[in-house]
Amino acid sequence: MTDPVRQGSISRRALLAGLTGLGTWAVLPESGSDAQPRRPAALLPRAVPNPTASLHLAATDGWVSMPQGSPPISPFWPDPLAPAGSDLYVFGFRDVTGLSATEVTGQRGKAQITAPLLGFDQETDIKIKLTNLGLSQRPDLVDGHTVHWHGFRNAIPLFDGVPELSISVPIGREFTYFYRPHDAGTYMYHCHFEDVEHVQMGMTGIVYVRPAQNSGTADVPPGRYVYNDGDGSTRYDREFALMLTEVWAEAHYRDAHIQTTDWTDYKPSFFAFNGRCYPDTLAPNGDPLSQAAGRLRYQPISSLITANAGERVLLRLANLGYRNHTLTVDGVDLLVVGKDAALLRGRDGSAEYQVTSTVQIGPGESRDVILTAPEPGTYLLYDRDLTSLANAGGGRGGQLTEIRISPPGTLPAQTRANA
Amino acid sequence: MLPADLGRWKRLSAVPLAAAVVAVLVVPGPDRVAASPPAGLECRTAADNAFDLTATGGYAAMPDGNTIYMWSYASGGGEFQLPGPTLCVTSGTKVTVVLHNSLPEPTSITFPGQAQVLADGRPAQPETDAAGTLTSLTTTAAANSGAVTYTFTAGPPGTYLYQSGTDVQKQVQMGLYGALVVRPAGHPDRENDRADSAFDPDHEYLYLLGEIDPDLHLAVERRRAYDFTRYKARYFTINGRSMPDTIAPNHAEWLPAQPYGALIHIRPYDPVGNPKPALIRYLNAGSVAYPFHPHGSDEQLIARDGRPAQGPAGQDLSFSNFLIDVSPGQTVDTLMIWKDAEHWDPQGNPIPVPLPSLQDQIVGPGPETWFAENPYLGGTPGELPPGVVQNNQCGEYYHVAHSHALEQATNYGASFGGMMTLIRIDPPAGCPA
Repeated sequence: MTDPVRQGSISRRALLAGLTGLGTWAVLPESGSDAQPRRPAALLPRAVPNPTASLHLAATDGWVSMPQGSPPISPFWPDPLAPAGSDLYVFGFRDVTGLSATEVTGQRGKAQITAPLLGFDQETDIKIKLTNLGLSQRPDLVDGHTVHWHGFRNAIPLFDGVPELSISVPIGREFTYFYRPHDAGTYMYHCHFEDVEHVQMGMTGIVYVRPAQNSGTADVPPGRYVYNDGDGSTRYDREFALMLTEVWAEAHYRDAHIQTTDWTDYKPSFFAFNGRCYPDTLAPNGDPLSQAAGRLRYQPISSLITANAGERVLLRLANLGYRNHTLTVDGVDLLVVGKDAALLRGRDGSAEYQVTSTVQIGPGESRDVILTAPEPGTYLLYDRDLTSLANAGGGRGGQLTEIRISPPGTLPAQTRANA
Repeated sequence: MLPADLGRWKRLSAVPLAAAVVAVLVVPGPDRVAASPPAGLECRTAADNAFDLTATGGYAAMPDGNTIYMWSYASGGGEFQLPGPTLCVTSGTKVTVVLHNSLPEPTSITFPGQAQVLADGRPAQPETDAAGTLTSLTTTAAANSGAVTYTFTAGPPGTYLYQSGTDVQKQVQMGLYGALVVRPAGHPDRENDRADSAFDPDHEYLYLLGEIDPDLHLAVERRRAYDFTRYKARYFTINGRSMPDTIAPNHAEWLPAQPYGALIHIRPYDPVGNPKPALIRYLNAGSVAYPFHPHGSDEQLIARDGRPAQGPAGQDLSFSNFLIDVSPGQTVDTLMIWKDAEHWDPQGNPIPVPLPSLQDQIVGPGPETWFAENPYLGGTPGELPPGVVQNNQCGEYYHVAHSHALEQATNYGASFGGMMTLIRIDPPAGCPA
């Protein structure tokens, strides 16, 4: 700032700030973040090593299935090049952890949407190896791939996955990303190579970080919490992650058919939770290595929400479409406790939780929402942007799923998210 | 809601001598701008807070080589610039803005968030034609060298738009917008009156967001009709520029009509040496929300529309974001820092994974990179493949910040463009020249 009118006073003020500023600035959380208790910055050697986690992701292309019976979008959907049982060309990630090199290579052309749901404990040393398997449908393309952990605070560029500002992984090569998350909450990850294309093509997933508070503190017993809230107010019994995306069928077709797309013409035709459109959202979780899931084999993540009456249900909501979406559940209050992997609480600790019936989520945003399971029955969770409740413009579909509530004690404790 | 008898204001304001007298009394003094900072918000100030703006036409350059006819504001008798000059005033002071109109149609300025705006000494009012049809949201300056003088008392500290109030669908899209920064009295290093809104005055940034449908601009340039049902934005801008022009310095000579850059240039947070955050002022001059995503650091949202995020008892209701979704016409102010969380160091604390050799990575893609081929902050830049331009100077870090409606992060569909800029993080000791 070089405004001459202010310059003189700023200089004096800067001197004053040097004396008084520290006390003021101590209230800004260290990372401009959610004021969670955290460990001090890394000082090596560490007295106690962090737990570790390793994961192997593969990036490739593939084919998936939108709801059958949707009105055709000629000639773009169903794609005439699609193998039997599928109708839409995609790019995506696969979890290939533990597979042999031959088995990993065998996943070329078998991408899934959305990407595997990832969850880690805070203060874990995480290594995610990314292998680029290339594009089976487009051997003419030499696209790289990356992992961008969207929202990771104080990232260094090498692990942030923006090709122009770090590196990307060529076909047939691999790179290992390292993360040590200090902030609990719900994040996303996606490829950042030609992001407007690769994200739209399906390289999107949810990653969340469980708070250190889960192992118990002086103030709260061990349990499942969304954040290091210090008072147990984010405790939950079951969790379900919903990745909101849109599918512009025309662009997917053009990618498969060696044509280019003007992305500013963007006009989505399908609206998905976890890569599936209603009614497919209700189908159980699948496994890309198993044929049991049939036409949803490469869309393995269910969006069906189940709970016992009275339980606290956490919805981890993230939007990697290019449009705003507003989710609602008729007749059920929604308690918003977090936005963008940060507890909704002011720097002075003031509560900012919101009770609402509608949760608007912009592109690239996340929300953590807790609802208390009401009386047994079926409730609908859906996008109040009603044009997003259609598949290719027809019928009832899109971003809609069910919340099925059972009598207390019916369902056993949840062992993993979205199950 | 509009007053019932709009025509009456026009009839009244056309005649009285009083208005003319007031207009003469408030002839503004020359406003001025300091020597330009290479990056960051550049204030135009005036001793008596009297500014002269001329609505006029000019050309803006897009990174793909396209040139777009725009309307915007020149400061005084100066050159056309997009966006209009960033006006900086202090809360509670009287502000005068004289609008000269060199456009072929009437135009005006609205000052959202400012109360009791006077036009030529009378309350600024919507205008209607003889049939009672609304023709302007506020008092106009006539086409072809008309003028109008707006006066108001600067409202609560914060960030505000100023923009055309006439034929708004077209004129605002054409570029008739700018930023008004109101500083708290006595505390120019705070965003508002709260102590926790203090920022480093050397690191204050403007993100004035907009978009361009080139067909509309061509139609205006050639004085042809344009069907707004066919509106389709193709360019997405920060301060009138698209990536990579957004990271060019302020007043880059190759962007003569787009003087404001959007590069954030900071050093890592340090409780002693660099304790204060940067301030970013977001303004949306477009017609859709822009979901803006800064990489590498969350930002603390401390104010919207010139109002602090606080409760009735002064509680802090700011919150942390990795996505700032700015609605049309809205302003959002955030504080940001980047902290060296792990202090990676090649000797004592190396990164736990290998950097692939050059043949096992893609550099770029394209003919340039901002990565030093060295993961350490301040590390010596490593070797690049032949033909790749290294934009990195001293091992500084770069993060990207962009709209996450990703079609907006393109130049007419080409990625790594559009509504996007970079966050540059220098080593703690700075980057040697």
